[in-house]
Formats: sequence, structure tokens, C-alpha cells
Amino acid sequence: MGRYILKRLWHTVYVTVGISIISFFFIHLSGDPVMLMLPPDATHAEVEKLRQELGFNDPLPLQYWRFASRAVKGDLGISLYHRVPALNLVLEMLPASLELAGAAMLIALLVSIPLGIISAVKRGSLWDVTSMLGALLGLSMPHFWLGIMLILVFSVKLGWLPTSGRGTLAHLIMPSLALGLSLMAMFARLTRSVILEVLCQDYVRTARAKGLVERLVIGKHALKNAMIPLVTVAGMQFGFLIGGTVIIETVFAWPGVGRLVVQAIFSRDYPLVQASVLVLSVLFVLINFLTDLIYLYLDPQISFLEAK
Amino acid sequence: MKKRMVWTILAMGLISVALGGSVFAAGDTLVVVQEAEPVGLDIMQSSIQTTMSVGYNINDTLLKPQEDATVKPGLAEKWEKVDDLTWKFTLIKGATFHNGEPINSAAVKFSFDRIMSDTLKSPHKGKLNSFKEVTVLDDNTFTITMNQPYAPGLYMLAQYLFIVPPAYIQKVGDVEYNINPVGSGAYKLVKWNKGQDIILEAYDKYYGPQPAYKKLVFKGIPEEASRIAALLTGEADVISGVPVHQRKKILDSGKAYLTDQMGSMNYLGLNTYEKPFSDVKVRQAINHAINRPLINKALFNDKAILCAGPISPRTMGADPALKPYAYDPALAKKLLAEAGYPNGFETRLAYGTYMPQIQEQAEAFAADLAKIGVKVTLEPFERAVMWDRYKNKLHQMYIYFWDDAPEPDRYMYSLFHSKSRDYYYKNETVDQLLDKGRTTMDPAARVKVYNELDRYLYKDAPWVYLYVIPEVYAVSNAVDYKGMRDGYLIMNTAKPKK
Repeated sequence: MGRYILKRLWHTVYVTVGISIISFFFIHLSGDPVMLMLPPDATHAEVEKLRQELGFNDPLPLQYWRFASRAVKGDLGISLYHRVPALNLVLEMLPASLELAGAAMLIALLVSIPLGIISAVKRGSLWDVTSMLGALLGLSMPHFWLGIMLILVFSVKLGWLPTSGRGTLAHLIMPSLALGLSLMAMFARLTRSVILEVLCQDYVRTARAKGLVERLVIGKHALKNAMIPLVTVAGMQFGFLIGGTVIIETVFAWPGVGRLVVQAIFSRDYPLVQASVLVLSVLFVLINFLTDLIYLYLDPQISFLEAK
Repeated sequence: MKKRMVWTILAMGLISVALGGSVFAAGDTLVVVQEAEPVGLDIMQSSIQTTMSVGYNINDTLLKPQEDATVKPGLAEKWEKVDDLTWKFTLIKGATFHNGEPINSAAVKFSFDRIMSDTLKSPHKGKLNSFKEVTVLDDNTFTITMNQPYAPGLYMLAQYLFIVPPAYIQKVGDVEYNINPVGSGAYKLVKWNKGQDIILEAYDKYYGPQPAYKKLVFKGIPEEASRIAALLTGEADVISGVPVHQRKKILDSGKAYLTDQMGSMNYLGLNTYEKPFSDVKVRQAINHAINRPLINKALFNDKAILCAGPISPRTMGADPALKPYAYDPALAKKLLAEAGYPNGFETRLAYGTYMPQIQEQAEAFAADLAKIGVKVTLEPFERAVMWDRYKNKLHQMYIYFWDDAPEPDRYMYSLFHSKSRDYYYKNETVDQLLDKGRTTMDPAARVKVYNELDRYLYKDAPWVYLYVIPEVYAVSNAVDYKGMRDGYLIMNTAKPKK
């Protein structure tokens, strides 16, 4: 078990280093920030001078070495646009991203799992058809459109919720709902199909033969075994949500890392891109690691198989 | 029963949080929503519009720029010309920065030296390049000398020489100052809640008139529909970034009105260094081929101002006698044939995808040009790629824009002088006229120089002159505010409507 955890932690280190190298070279090859940093009336001489001062004329491996030797000391450089330490900027935005991702995930799981179970148990019923059609609708609705619709109804027409921003629970409701709805649909469909599969297994038949009440059969025997694929998908989705909710962040002016990193890419803010990618990749790997730990709880055979 | 009670309590709690949590503009607070949050708050360190707008509320300059490119007193109560290269200024007495530091000649010198220093890498440095130094005469008087006579000098000082507190900056450093600036403006910074809002408060010892709103809040909402929703719900009092197609919706709501601000002066640049655009007849043909009135009607509800030459009709120096190139495909074809292209040619049109309504404009130009046999391949580029290709001289035709500032030198020198950034056109006569316009100190004579320049460039046609699209702010009916042509949201003139 201990060895397994150590092995997973070691993965974190080399994945992070690999990602830092890839992102560094890709962003540097895709254009120069200096023309964008200076106003359009800056002369070519001014542009060239700034490029020299920032070290962009040096060979890329040398620039990477400079970055990496500072990065290991925790210094990821100063953002070219914000002119403050890039890492601080990312860490300032991170709580908002975690809050939104967490709320969306919570809403999605709380609704979708019971929905999926009932659909599976009452397969073919009106409930099943309706909820799965609803799930299809939830999956088909673009975030952007749903977000704007929520604003129009709950802010402009009814005046119940603030249109955008962050600060109170009221600010969190619409963005997390807009984000959670498609997740909800995905999880409900997944839960339904996994439960259906598990319900055909021998151990479920045995449990029923023992005379266990249906609630225990589903809750104790079927659900725990159905959880592994759900945990896998939820873990991956949560990692993705932290940095990948740009559209929702844009519609609701939610101050998350997603928009920060997209703006940094468009403006070729190298240090900020590097800091964002590093932080997000570490988080992603850690979430995967946590997912693995949950596997161990759900199915202790996994650590044994991995160790072999 | 118990369950129902729990749900009722939960629902009530949620509603109360929702209502209590809403930040609605009220009373003595003015909420301004821009397209994005500023990248920093030190106005010297950024030329990005959102930063500048907040910065102009926190900072003051020596003079106040006016719509007609003249200036009025700011921190300097009077000024006089010592000779063609020197201005002498007298500061208003008793003015202080928000931390109590005195605003004196030493602070002006510190501010000038800071913006011009290599270490700060200020994007505004280039705009003050004509100035040599600040010399302190006493606590309240100083001189500013120039390297050569520079007619727009006072206007440029009014726009870009922000006066900042020396002791505070030396104590906290540039990085901290970018987060917690102390200025000399009508509003002082209370708190920047990163990602949420920037709260400013009227500075009670401000040397000028006190603003009507005691509290000023800036927010950033990137999505235009959400920004407009914030205005219509009353969460915002003033919003920027209002696209043409949304303006009617705002007016129809009966809750807000529009006020003009800066204009976006769009043009179609031509690479005059290479064939076919090295031939003036081809350039004139392209000018005659674009149906500007139709584009204006279809895309901008006839609100754009058609341009004859490169100087905006709203800017001092535009020749009023010039009329925009007439839409005349037959004449365009004739000119092309004379230039040796009777069957037209193939070319590429580059544009940045970040520009508003750009795809529609590019398609309209391509359709018009197709009618005279010029086959255009559209090249939409992301901003950094657009500039990278521009730098490497890879564009043939490109769409770009400039703000139609009141001072012609502000953009004409940058766009056309061979010593400036190279926009695919060089011409000695144009250089001479630009130099003359910059150094002619008599205002009437200066206007004539720019009129001549406007006529010359009209004929030589290095661009296809298009139109100025006036940008607007949308303002709540409860607020009285008039936008300025500089495009900055300076809010100390806003007041509640009676």
C-alpha cells in the first residue's frame, strides 16, 4: 500500500516536468509577446529593445534552463502583463475554480446517482424514459446558451440572483447549475448503465436469493461495485473542471484559472502560461491520485494487482 | 412534517442569501462594468484600456486633455512657454497624494524619470520620447524641456505624464504599487478584490471639485450579454463594450441611454512594397471598389462616419473638402486595366479575430472586390499570429483600426512616418509633412499642414479609407454622464440625474 502511494507520488514529479517542457516549447514557438506588450505606436527599435531585455532572443533551451532553475526554487517569474508574480496570480484564482468545480460536481452527483439508480431499477418505465430524455437534453444544451438563459430568467426577469461575479452563495448558484447540468446528465446515464450491468451479476442474484430487501441489494451490493467507473469519470471531470470552465467563467464573470490561462495564452504571457499549466497539471495528477486511493477503498484488490 | 419544515427553512435561507448577496448599485455608489478586470492598477505599467480607465480615476496629470486637443489646468494651475523647447509649470498649492505626501516639483520629476526609466518598461515611454527632462526650480515650479519643438507636447503630457508619490513607491516597490497604488486623483483605492471588484472612494482632500458619487466600483464582465443584463437589472450603472447590434435593445428597455466615446477608425492596409499594391492605380481602384455606404447601412445601422482620408473627420486637421472615394466598380476596373490587371488578380486579406464584427466586414470587402475581378482569400488570425506575420511582412491586405484621437500626431506619426513602426508604406513627402505638423507651433498653420497631408495620402491611397465606428457607453437613466473621446471612464464628472 505504502509502496503503491510512493509510486503514484513519483508519477506526479515526472508528469509535471514533462508538461512544463512541452508547454514551454509550444508557447514559445507560437508567437512573440513583445509586439502585444507595447502599444501599436511603438517603433521597431523599441520592440527589439524590449525583446532583448526580456531575453527572448536567446536560444530556447537556454531560456528553458533559466526558467527551470528558477522554478525549482518556487519562482515562476513575473507575469508580463499583470507585472506581479505569476504563481501568486494563479493561486489567487484557484479557490474560485475549486469552489465552482466542487459545487458543480456536488450538484451533479447528488442528483444524477439517485436518478440513474431509479432508472436502472425501473428500466423501461415512464420514469426511466423521462429521466433519460432529460439527461439527453442536459447533455445537448451548450453551456454558453444555458448560462445566458439562466441570467435572463433568474436575474433579468425575476431579479432573484445576481447576473455575475463571485462573493456570496447567490453568485455561485447559476454558474454551478449551468456547469453541473451536463455533468448531471452524463453521470445519470453512466450510473444507469453500470447499475444495469451489475444487477445481472451472480452476487446480486445471490444477495436476492438470501432474501435481502431490495434497498440493501442495490445500496450495499450493486452500488459499491458500480462506483468504480463513476469515481473514474468523476475524478477526471473534476480535474478538467478546475481549468476547463472558460465559457462559464466568461458568461458569469467568474474569476477562475480557466479564463486567466486562456488570456495568458492569447497574450503570450509566457510566465503566466507556465505557472497556470504547472499548477493545473499538479492538481490534475493529485486528483487522479486521490481517485486511485478511493479505488483502494472500493476494491482493495487493486493495490495488490498494481504491486504485482 | 419535520422534513417539510427543513425544506422550507432551507429555501428561505437560500432566497435571503440570494437577495442579501446581490450587489445592486445604490445611493452614493456608482458601479462601472468594463469588458475585463484590469491587469494591474499602476497606470504607468500598462496601456490596456481597462487598467487606464481605473488608473485615470486614481491618478491625475499636470493638465486635463480636451476634446479639441487643447488642455486645461490639472495639477498645474498655470504654464508658460519659455522658448520653443521649454515649458515652465506652476503647481497648484497644497495638493496631496492619497497618503498625504505633498505633490511638488520633486514628485513631478520623479514621475517623469520613472516613466522614462528602462527598468519600469512603461508602454507609455514612447509617447513621451520628445521630452528631455524635468528641472525643479522650487517646490512648486519646474520646467520641462523637449529635444525639439513639439506642438502636441502639452496634450501628450496631459494624457500620459501621471504624477505618482515618490516616497510611497520607493518604499513599496513597483510590484506592490501595481496592486496597491496611491495616486493624486479624485478617487483613492480602498480595496481590490481580485477577480471581483475594485472599490474606490472619493478623496476628501482632492484639490478639485468633489465627485458626486462617494464610492466608485469597477467590475469586469467579459461576456457582452451578461454585461448588458447587469445594466438592465441595476447591478451596473455604466457599461463599456456595447456592440452595435445590442444598442437598440438597451434603448428599447427604457432603462438606459447611450453616450459616445472613442471611435474605432477601421482601415484596409495595403502592402505597398510589393506588386500589385505598389501601383497607385491599383490602390485607388481598390478604394473605388468598396461600397462603404452599403456596409455602413448593413453592419453599423448607418452610425459609422465615412472617412475620405486617413485623418478621422472628428480629428483636427482632416480636410473638410475631401469626399470619400465614390463606389464605382466600372472606374475601379478601368484603373486596374491601366495598371496592367484587366482580369484582376488574386490576393490575401488578413484580419485579427479579436476585432468586433470583423468577419462580416472581411466578407463584405471580399465580395466587393470579387466584382472587379480581385479574388480574395480571407485569413483570420489570432492576435499574436496576426502581429507576428505583420512583423515578418507576410500580409498583402490587412484590416486594422486605430482610435480617432483628437490630436492627429497621436496616430498619424505612428502609422505613416518611416521612423515609426513600419505599416508597409514609406514616403518622403509624407515624412516631411508629419515632421512639419509636429514642429509647427502655430495652431492655424498646423491645421493647414495636416489638411495637406490628408489630401496627399488621399491621392496616394496606401490604405482603403473606411469609417469611424463610434463606440458608446451605456448609462443607467439614473446617472448623468457624458463619455469622452479619449475612451477612458473618468467618473468624477458623473452625477445623479435630477
